Amino acid sequence: MATTTAAVTLTSDLLSDNISVTTDTTCMKGGTTADGLDQMDMGYIEIATGTNFDLLDADNALNKDKANKVYISNDSTDETYYVIITIDATVVGRLYAGDWMFIPWGAEDATADIEIQAYTGTNKISYAYFHEGRTLTSA
Amino acid sequence: MATTTATITLSSSDLLSDELSLATTATLTGAGNSTGLTGTTGLARKKLASGHAQYTLFDGTDYTADKAHKLYLKNTSTTASEYFLITVNAEDVGRLYAGDWALIPWSAHDADNDIKIDPSANDMTLEYMLFTDE
Repeated sequence: MATTTAAVTLTSDLLSDNISVTTDTTCMKGGTTADGLDQMDMGYIEIATGTNFDLLDADNALNKDKANKVYISNDSTDETYYVIITIDATVVGRLYAGDWMFIPWGAEDATADIEIQAYTGTNKISYAYFHEGRTLTSA
Repeated sequence: MATTTATITLSSSDLLSDELSLATTATLTGAGNSTGLTGTTGLARKKLASGHAQYTLFDGTDYTADKAHKLYLKNTSTTASEYFLITVNAEDVGRLYAGDWALIPWSAHDADNDIKIDPSANDMTLEYMLFTDE
């Protein structure tokens, strides 16, 4: 099995005591410790403003209700640039220049795509998708 | 100004024929500016002792809409089959299985965009921390 590790460290001086949280996880297939996620897609794209795009398509049976993981990073450098991340028609949040996110994605139905729309200017986006399978479109 | 940073490292030596090693650090700032995030809940734990009912972790009405809030979640369970289903409003985001963590941008887009969690079993514990942009 493939072993992929995702680690995070959060630090902050917002409180009178410093925050320092570190943890990691091995990205496993849903409900098991015996088999790691063994497929991935990775990319870099520049997204112009004006259109909400599907970044990841949920329209398949292989990733539904699994332990898929999605990493998205906004590599833009202008602090006013951002993308809005939406699942189906529900806004999750804004990813500003320099921000990243790492979320589980259940792809619960055919319309639960991960969508992305750029604001202010053309945003530079890196992403990685760890999953159990993706149905290829017939040629 | 407070400084809050989030660093992620994704690594694998056997997923690809070349080693995967990706690391990036974000300094968490407000929407459209370079001012550090101004609030946090601090690190907290919630144990859902009985029932599998969906629970509202953060209410969209309590936070300023369309900001750069960030939410950290961790499922502390060690039972592989146990997960929290994470939902925004009525839309399922995904399943956070035992040991998994997430960092989610949350814009509290409107009053209904609550963050909800639904444990798959009794007595599961969620660790969480919200950084807010107010």
